[in-house]
Amino acid sequence: MAEESVTFTLPDLGEGLVEATVLEWQVGVGDTVGRNDPLVEVETTKSAVVIPSPKAGRIAELHAREEEVVPVGAPLVTFVVTVSDDAPQAGIVGKVPAEERPTRRVRLKPPAD
Amino acid sequence: MTELIDRTGTETQEAPVVELSMQQAVNRALRVLLAEDPDVLVFGEDVGTLGGVFRVTDGLQKEFGDRRVFDTPLAESAIMGMAVGLAMNGWRPVPELQFDGFAYPAIDQIVNQVARMNYRTRGAAPMPITLRLPSFGGIQAPEHHGESLEAIFAHTPGLKVVAPSDPGDAYTLLLQAVRSDDPVVYMEPKARYWERRPVQLREPDEPIGTSRIVRPGRHATLVAWGAMVHRCVQAAELAAEDGVELEVLDLRWLKPIDAEGLAASVARTRRAVVVHEAPLTAGLGAEVSALVTENCFRDLAAPVQRVTGFDVPYPAGPLEPQYLPTIDRILLAVQRTLEF
Amino acid sequence: MSENPADGVAIRCADLIPSSPADAVPVLLLHGFGTSFDMNWRAAGWTRALEAEGLRVLGPDLRGHGDSDKPADSGFYLPEHFVGDLTAALDRLGVERVDAVGYSMGSRLAWELALTHPERVRRVALCGFGPADAFEGVDLSDPGSGDTPFDSVFRNVAGLPGNDPAALAACARGQASRPFRAHPPLTCPVLVAAGSEDEVAAGAQELAALCGGTFVEVPGRGHANAVSSRILRQAVVEFLTS
Repeated sequence: MAEESVTFTLPDLGEGLVEATVLEWQVGVGDTVGRNDPLVEVETTKSAVVIPSPKAGRIAELHAREEEVVPVGAPLVTFVVTVSDDAPQAGIVGKVPAEERPTRRVRLKPPAD
Repeated sequence: MTELIDRTGTETQEAPVVELSMQQAVNRALRVLLAEDPDVLVFGEDVGTLGGVFRVTDGLQKEFGDRRVFDTPLAESAIMGMAVGLAMNGWRPVPELQFDGFAYPAIDQIVNQVARMNYRTRGAAPMPITLRLPSFGGIQAPEHHGESLEAIFAHTPGLKVVAPSDPGDAYTLLLQAVRSDDPVVYMEPKARYWERRPVQLREPDEPIGTSRIVRPGRHATLVAWGAMVHRCVQAAELAAEDGVELEVLDLRWLKPIDAEGLAASVARTRRAVVVHEAPLTAGLGAEVSALVTENCFRDLAAPVQRVTGFDVPYPAGPLEPQYLPTIDRILLAVQRTLEF
Repeated sequence: MSENPADGVAIRCADLIPSSPADAVPVLLLHGFGTSFDMNWRAAGWTRALEAEGLRVLGPDLRGHGDSDKPADSGFYLPEHFVGDLTAALDRLGVERVDAVGYSMGSRLAWELALTHPERVRRVALCGFGPADAFEGVDLSDPGSGDTPFDSVFRNVAGLPGNDPAALAACARGQASRPFRAHPPLTCPVLVAAGSEDEVAAGAQELAALCGGTFVEVPGRGHANAVSSRILRQAVVEFLTS
C-alpha cells in the first residue's frame, strides 16, 4: 500500500460562474473524510452550495481561507489517499486484464511434410 | 527521413535494458520527443493535469509546461482540427484521442484535412502529426471504448498506420512516427498497457513499414498486430507442445504493410493465418490474404485463413472474450491449413 | 409529476427514500423564490444530511419553478394554489403527514399548509423568513427594476437556466396580492431560523415568539447564503429529530 496526494480544484459550478467564495470548511487538516461527505460550503453570485468530497482520504491541506474568493480551477484541498500497489491506475474505463496462464482445448497434428 | 538515419548512425552503444509497461514506454518516448524538438506539442482530453486516463502522459505537463502539454475541450473534431492548424504553422503535434470510438467524431478532420493537406498544397503544408489512439478491446470497457479502426485509416490515402505490440516497440515506433513528416495514426493496444517487460530503449534503425518476426517457426505463419501478437505467441507456445512450430509475424505497420517481409515468412512456412480483432468483412485480414496470395501463390500449401472479430458491433464487456479471437480459434485455423 | 385537480398545473416532486429509513414522518422541503428543489436543498447539502438521519425527503419544484409547469398568469400563484399542489403531491405519494421545512417563499407556503391542513403537518421549520412584507416598495409591473432586497433577488434568479422570468414575475404578483399575516399563529411546534444579516427575514425572532417556537440565528449569513450553513442544517435536523 502506498500513499498518494491528490489536489482537488474548485470545479466548474456551471452557469458561467468563474469564482466562488469559501463560506465555511466542513473539514479540517488531519480529518479523515469519506467520498461524498460535505467538504466545503461555497457561495457564488447565484447560490450557496455544499461541495461534497470527491475522494475518501485524509485532509493534508486546505488551500483557501474562509471568506476567500477562489477562481474556478484553483486548488481547494489536498487529500492523502491510500492506493494499493497492485491496484489498476485511477481513471481507467474498464478493467485491467488479468495475465492468466493460457489454456486451450484444440490439439494440433504436425503436417507430414 | 535522412535526419533519422543520421541520428541512428550516432548510436554506437547498446541501449540499456529497463523493465517498463507500455504506458511507461510511451511516456518515455514522449519525454524524449518533447525534449529533442521544441516544436513537439502533446494535447488532448485529460493529457495535461491528469496525466491521461491511462497515465501515459503522466508528469509531462509538469516537466514541459502547459504550453507544450495541454488539455483540450471534449471535442475530438476540434482536437484534430487544431492539429492541422498547428502543423501548418510549423509545429509537430502529437494529439491524443482518448479512445478509439471517439475518433469517429474527428474522421472529417483526419480524412479530409490531415490525410490530404500535403497533396492539396503540393507539399507546401506537410502534416507531421502523430495521432495517438488507445485502441482495440480487451479491457471490458463500455461501448465506443474497444473499437478497431485500422482498416478505415489504412484505406485512407495519405495516412500511415502503426500498432505496436510490446513496450519496446511502442517506444521505438513512437519516436519513428513523430519524427516522420507524414501523418501517422499510432494505435496503442489498451489491453497491453500494463504488463511490464524488459525493454531496450532503441532508437529506430529500420525504415517505416518494417515487420518483425517475434517468434520463428516453420509450419505456418501467424500474422498479427497490437494485442493479438501476444495471443498468437501464446498460441504458438501451446502449438509447440504438439510439435507444430508456428512463426509469429508482428506486422507493426498497417500502412504501409511490409509485403516483402510477409512474403518472405510465408514462402518459408507455406501457410498463413492472419489474426485481428476487427470484424471480418473488409478487415485488414483480407488485405494480408491478398498480398500473400499475390506474392506467394506458388509457395502456398493452403488458402490463407482469417481469425477475426465478428461482423457485429463491438459487444458489451462481458461478451468480449467470446468476440475476440481465442487461442482455440487460432489453433483451429492453423489445423485447417495443416490438413488442407 | 402530480397534477393539481383544481387547475391542472403539474408539479415535479422528488421522493428520496433513505437506505436505512428511520421510523419518522417524511420531510417536505419547500424551496425559495426563483430556485428549485435541486438548487435550494440538494446542492446546499440538505438531502445528504437528512438521508444520514434516515429521513425520507419529499422535494417539490413549486409551480413556476424547476421542472414544474410555469403558467405566466398571476392568477395561478395564490397561496392556496401552491397548497393544493402540495396536498395533491402528498396524496399521490400516499403520505399522510409531514414535517414541513421552508426557505424564504417556501416558508410562507409551509406556514399556509400548516395553517390550512394542520392534520397533515407535524412540525414546521421556517428558514430565511420573517413576517415583513417582502414585496414592500417593489414595482410589481416590473419586478427586478428597483433596489429593494426582493428586486435584487429577482434580478439574480431571473437569468438562471430553466427559469422563466415571465412566470417568476407572475408568481411575485400572485404572492404579493395576498400579503403574509402572522395571525392566527401556528399551533404546532415551530422553529424559525435566519441569517443575522438577512434583511428579507426581518422580524423572524418575533415570529418565533408569537408561535411559542424557537429562534436560531445563523451568524454572519445573509438571505442568499444562510441556506447552505451547517449551523442552519444542524438546527433543523435537531428540531425534526428531537
